[in-house]
Amino acid sequence: MSQQRVIVVGGGLAGLAASARVAEGGMSVDLFSLVPVKRSHSVCAQGGINACNEVARQQGYSEYEHFDETIYGGDFLADQHPVLEMANWAPRIIDLLDRMGVPFNRTSEGYRDLRLFGGSLFKRTHFAGATTGQQLIYALDEQVRRYESEGKVTKYEFWEFLAPVIENGRCVGIVAQDMRTMQIRAFRADAVVMATGGCGLVFGKSTNSIICNGAAAARCFRHGAWYANPEMIQVHPTAIPGADKLRLMSESARGEGGRVWVPRAKGDTRDPKNIPEAERWYFLEEKYPKYGNIVPRDIATREIFDVCVNMGLGVNGEKQVYLDLTHKPRDYLDRKLGGILEIYEKFVGDDPRDTPMRIFPAVHYSMGGLWTTHTKGSYTPAQPRAKHVSGATAPLDSRPGQGLAPGATNNMMTNIRGLYAFGEVNFAYHGANRLGANALLSCIFDGLFCGVSVLNYVKDEEPAKAPAADMPAGAFDASVDREQQAMKRLLATVSGAKPDTLTNPYAIGKELGDEMTAACTVVRTKARLEQCRVKLAELKDRYAKARLPDNAGWGNQSLGYARMVGDMLALADAISLGALERRESRGAHYRSDYTERDDANFMKTSLAKHANAGVTLEFVPIDDTLIAPTARTYGKTDAKAPAAS
Amino acid sequence: MEKTAAANRTVRLRIKRCDGPGKPSRWEEFRVPIEPGSNVISCLQAVAANPVTVEGTQTTPVVWDSGCLEEVCGACTMVINGKVRQSCSCLIDDYVTGNDDVITLEPMSRFPVVRDLWVDRARMFHNLKRIKAWVPLDGTYNLGPGPREDAATAERRYVLSTCMTCGCCLEACPQFDLEPDPATWDTSFVGAQVFGQAQLFNDHATSRQHAGERLDVLMGPGGINDCGNAQNCVQVCPKHIPLTQAIGAIGRAATIHAFVRFFRG
Amino acid sequence: MSQQTTFLDRHHFLLRRLHSLSGIVPIGLFLIAHLTTNSSILWGKLGLRGEHPEFSWSQGGAAYFAKEVVWINEQVPHLFLIELTLWLSIGFHAVLGTIYALTGRMNTSAYPYGANKRYRLQRASGYIGILFIFYHVATLRWGWTFLIPGGTAWSHNFASSTLAAALRGGEEFTAMGMVVSAFYFIGVSLLVFHFANGLWTAAITWGLTVSRAAQQRWGYVCAGLGAGLMAMAWASVIGFAMHSPAAAREVETKMHPDAAAMPQTP
Repeated sequence: MSQQRVIVVGGGLAGLAASARVAEGGMSVDLFSLVPVKRSHSVCAQGGINACNEVARQQGYSEYEHFDETIYGGDFLADQHPVLEMANWAPRIIDLLDRMGVPFNRTSEGYRDLRLFGGSLFKRTHFAGATTGQQLIYALDEQVRRYESEGKVTKYEFWEFLAPVIENGRCVGIVAQDMRTMQIRAFRADAVVMATGGCGLVFGKSTNSIICNGAAAARCFRHGAWYANPEMIQVHPTAIPGADKLRLMSESARGEGGRVWVPRAKGDTRDPKNIPEAERWYFLEEKYPKYGNIVPRDIATREIFDVCVNMGLGVNGEKQVYLDLTHKPRDYLDRKLGGILEIYEKFVGDDPRDTPMRIFPAVHYSMGGLWTTHTKGSYTPAQPRAKHVSGATAPLDSRPGQGLAPGATNNMMTNIRGLYAFGEVNFAYHGANRLGANALLSCIFDGLFCGVSVLNYVKDEEPAKAPAADMPAGAFDASVDREQQAMKRLLATVSGAKPDTLTNPYAIGKELGDEMTAACTVVRTKARLEQCRVKLAELKDRYAKARLPDNAGWGNQSLGYARMVGDMLALADAISLGALERRESRGAHYRSDYTERDDANFMKTSLAKHANAGVTLEFVPIDDTLIAPTARTYGKTDAKAPAAS
Repeated sequence: MEKTAAANRTVRLRIKRCDGPGKPSRWEEFRVPIEPGSNVISCLQAVAANPVTVEGTQTTPVVWDSGCLEEVCGACTMVINGKVRQSCSCLIDDYVTGNDDVITLEPMSRFPVVRDLWVDRARMFHNLKRIKAWVPLDGTYNLGPGPREDAATAERRYVLSTCMTCGCCLEACPQFDLEPDPATWDTSFVGAQVFGQAQLFNDHATSRQHAGERLDVLMGPGGINDCGNAQNCVQVCPKHIPLTQAIGAIGRAATIHAFVRFFRG
Repeated sequence: MSQQTTFLDRHHFLLRRLHSLSGIVPIGLFLIAHLTTNSSILWGKLGLRGEHPEFSWSQGGAAYFAKEVVWINEQVPHLFLIELTLWLSIGFHAVLGTIYALTGRMNTSAYPYGANKRYRLQRASGYIGILFIFYHVATLRWGWTFLIPGGTAWSHNFASSTLAAALRGGEEFTAMGMVVSAFYFIGVSLLVFHFANGLWTAAITWGLTVSRAAQQRWGYVCAGLGAGLMAMAWASVIGFAMHSPAAAREVETKMHPDAAAMPQTP
């Protein structure tokens, strides 16, 4: 059995957690990452990680309420059982991270400090300064480094995943390329865990890292893995506009008291500090008296978009609003938000402790992703419950195994046997909108909880009888050969005519991003989406004739970029198709031509499948047996017009 | 900061290029249009999309390493106008005021070049293994919370823990040299990054049990005694990590450890 | 890790810390004592404590200095031990220091920070300092008179006058004498810097100063000590260079009537 191996693709939180858990279970792990794992995109997560905790519990909060909030926040699109299990595990995950040495902020008594985050009325978010994601991934990175030094984990950094190797519907390995030497080779594995994150780069500029292109997921998709809820793309309400990317301004800025406003009068160009209180419009606080500035992200995003685009009230007539922390004491801000305020200062040049920040929404997170399945746990009520009343006694305790069956081999497995998807790359937990500080949780939960499923699958099921190591080389060789041919074809384009705007992969990538941002983000319409699909067809056509600017056989980044554009086009296809076909508004998906949620027809997972003819889409029912859907209003009052006073 | 950028402003990037290990270096210059807020990354992206030098020669896109673009991943570190820093946070307007001015980009010199501006910093990660930069966990099972920690300790550790392994402290260090051969890594100077990380873990209640082993490594060749106290590390650290403080703390621990080791055996 | 380890690697920590320690004790302590004695050319009249009330300040300086030198030279077994310890320490400190310094790559042009400049100067002062010490000892201890312009030979009974003559290149200032004086001035200045700065870095090395504030405070202390020693060093060089050898010889002859006659300059 010792030669059995598991491949983990992606070295972010989910990939590292999975690697640690699988290595700990005695299985050898090959960990693939485009970048040294410590540089994965998880470092960008700023705000924190949600979990029920003792303080909140004694105020009436519970794991169950966390579960309820997540379902409600996701606008009743998530299958409910996995979410219940994740919420129940959250406090244990925090304890584990604590043991790993994550320097969580502490109270004066030495307990872990908590902050308020979107979608909850309780302080339930644990944090380490304003770089929580960085701190968590470093803790997991350290644990994996320990296994690496013991020989249980082998890292392949600067390697790019090219394709899964699938034999009789079962994933038995991958093909990958060393982006330094350009060597392409196959790796055998008894199970493959995809933990490759989101696809922000499809939208050009986003809050994502340059590596979050979705290509790995798209490659699985093109090899037969299903892709669920592709249209569910979270646009974060507060980002800093920039020339190369839109840098995130964490939700914690609002959680710690940040107020969003615009001048009431159109074209008011005064310095924000000179605008009196009465002439400022705190539109979120006015419209949502209960949640105020900490309404969930999709709502805040649409309100900001509405104020700027439809009402023309953006600061200086531009697409930006103020996010104001200047009323908070400097030392408080430095202690709680130092890291992110520094980012603003560095990239904009203003000190947010003195001047309100100017922010605008940006593409941030993909709730959709590779479709995964699971085995339900023991909690199966006869009737779904009504929405939980915040602070009421929880109807059930937080014992493990009620949401998901621990160790069931299909937990977070895709439709391809032996191919798992963990973290942002799957679709499982966040429905139509992710709550702030739930992403870190879902990544680590997948890695740890479902890592056991991977182990059990390898030890007890097909791989035990037919290990990948003993399989004939044919499928592996064929996969390598196919990828090599594809590479040669791309490299051969260099010798022809010089690339022009039509055939330059960078130009195609940029146009793709612009088009997707314009058509597929905050407000979507049938007409615009159809136009978008025409544009995508054109881009695909041009991509087929793309010319590379570099045919080097060493460290060729143009090759990687060009290859990735093709994969992003496939995802864009699925995203736009999902957005077009989902004729309702739900969570992050807002159709101005179908403004209401339509549970009868669309409280369903949209399932994209890739075939030779292109992408097809179907809607499949969700598991809504635990909580009955209700309207998701967050206590919105009638929006008042901004009476200029 | 004045935001009075003239229309059609450009900047010239003078870039030290190299096709791969063992290949000769050469300089190429590119003219790139800029706008307020442009940074080195957006300029390099423009070069990638249109790799034509100022002489009008078609060349290959410049290769560079990057990730988060918001100065938390450490990937895009390079030497800009002679000084090491992250290129994402390098706003063009902070460097040049006129039109068509030159900014020089070079790869870090203390790490082997992979290609152009992309270097291989594997040695930094290797050194983290040498000092056992982790908390020795019993496993990922549910064993309750970690040790209670006072706020001051947590804050002290947090700052050390923001080290993103970018290598600025090593590039600027006069004692840290290029070591292309991994065989020499275990006896070559480790640099401030490692002292910061060693201190981070020596300061943690559970991980303290490895402190002696860490000090044994750091008291050997390439360890704490090879520090020349030029203190460039703390000046160039983009995260303002008190590296010289960590060096002092490791020095103190090494002194005590040496006496304890001598008398206790 | 096992094969091909050198002596330096095997005893890395001990050697490094001995290097640090040897710079302070005995070398640093000796430097303080030496500069105190030498600067007495300016303040020596006070040191005579009323002896020879007829001496002027200038004569008192020459007399006291000569007296001190004679006293030291009469401590024969002790002197031998002191010198042996010093030679071993300086040799050890210099050899290891050179080996260590060769591992550095200066980059003050790219990173012109204060501490970095001091790092650079520490190494430069080490190199030049060791040359200076060698010259100083060879000429005034071992009697390599051919290295002294004007060929003045050393005699401890005529310490003040020979030193003054060595610095001047003869009875009166010569061009070569100016070079020697300048070399002395630079040499002692660099050595004082080397000691003061070394004291500052040693406190970090040994872990006495950990926090930035402590390093800064200790920096002020070292700077103060350095300034004091620098004043003594400059006083010594200027004091002797400005002293007439003839006048000094007059005083010395008065103090040591029974001593051997002043060696003749060839």
